Amino acid sequence: MKCRWIHLGWLVLALLVLGGCALPAPPAPHQSALRADGEALVWQDEFRFVPPPAPWQLIDLNEDDYSVAYMKLCRESSPCQSTLAYAEEPFGYSLDFVERQEEFFRRFLWASRVVFAPARLEKTEVLGGEGLIAITEGVEPVLGHKVHAKVVFARRGERVVGFYFTQWRSAEAAYDLRDEQDFLNFIESFRYLRPSFYELL
Amino acid sequence: MEGHQRNLYLYDRFNARVAGVSRDQVATLEFWAKDLGLTFPLFSNPIGHLGIWFGALRQGYPMFNRTTVIIDKWGVIRYMRDGSPDYHEILRVLKQLHGEEAGR
Repeated sequence: MKCRWIHLGWLVLALLVLGGCALPAPPAPHQSALRADGEALVWQDEFRFVPPPAPWQLIDLNEDDYSVAYMKLCRESSPCQSTLAYAEEPFGYSLDFVERQEEFFRRFLWASRVVFAPARLEKTEVLGGEGLIAITEGVEPVLGHKVHAKVVFARRGERVVGFYFTQWRSAEAAYDLRDEQDFLNFIESFRYLRPSFYELL
Repeated sequence: MEGHQRNLYLYDRFNARVAGVSRDQVATLEFWAKDLGLTFPLFSNPIGHLGIWFGALRQGYPMFNRTTVIIDKWGVIRYMRDGSPDYHEILRVLKQLHGEEAGR
């Protein structure tokens, strides 16, 4: 049968809800998605990692912008916390690391009204392949907060994945980047256990 | 919407296109698309007849329910789902439809 719109193919039509209504996000995995495997944890049989030591705490905020995340609080300033996370679908769209980090920082922590400086970029090797490290600082000028952010972009198949490290301090307080070593250890221990949905598609 | 934008290259592989439909005005959609960096078409349908056709407009409710519809090139609806898009399911359906098309 000859079709009328040979150039079009299939159409995915998305009827949207806009107008300022918060949309229900798909439920993020709860702690039950994690199972112990020796000193490591396994997330939904997808990946395995060694969690950062206490006082880092697993975050389960029903967010959908990361797959697994940990937070560490301190008392030296207000705010005073570090966060590390792995995201299967980091903000942005491009499969190119440099473009992706630009897209990423337009959305990352946007609800916190943070203004990021242009990121310093370093090529790296991560998860057995190429990667890109983006380091920047964001400032929230009204509350006088600042955040140091280090994001490592990597690949799972052709898709871009991300590891995030943030540390929040008040504008006048100094960062304590010793927590960053826990982040690097987290990445170092990280292993995929099977091909992703997209690799099998 | 970001999920659709992220998957555009896969939709291309399966000979599919995506479009959004909303009851918002064109200016609102333009701003929203620019802010999110969306590059696929968004249709403004303030009267809401598209939503009525697809059963996405509840009586007395001013906005569309989120609905994903896959329509084939002959205008036949091949998939419909209410709620947040299941991007994996959408891609599986498109892959299947693309396979059917290739086998014709």
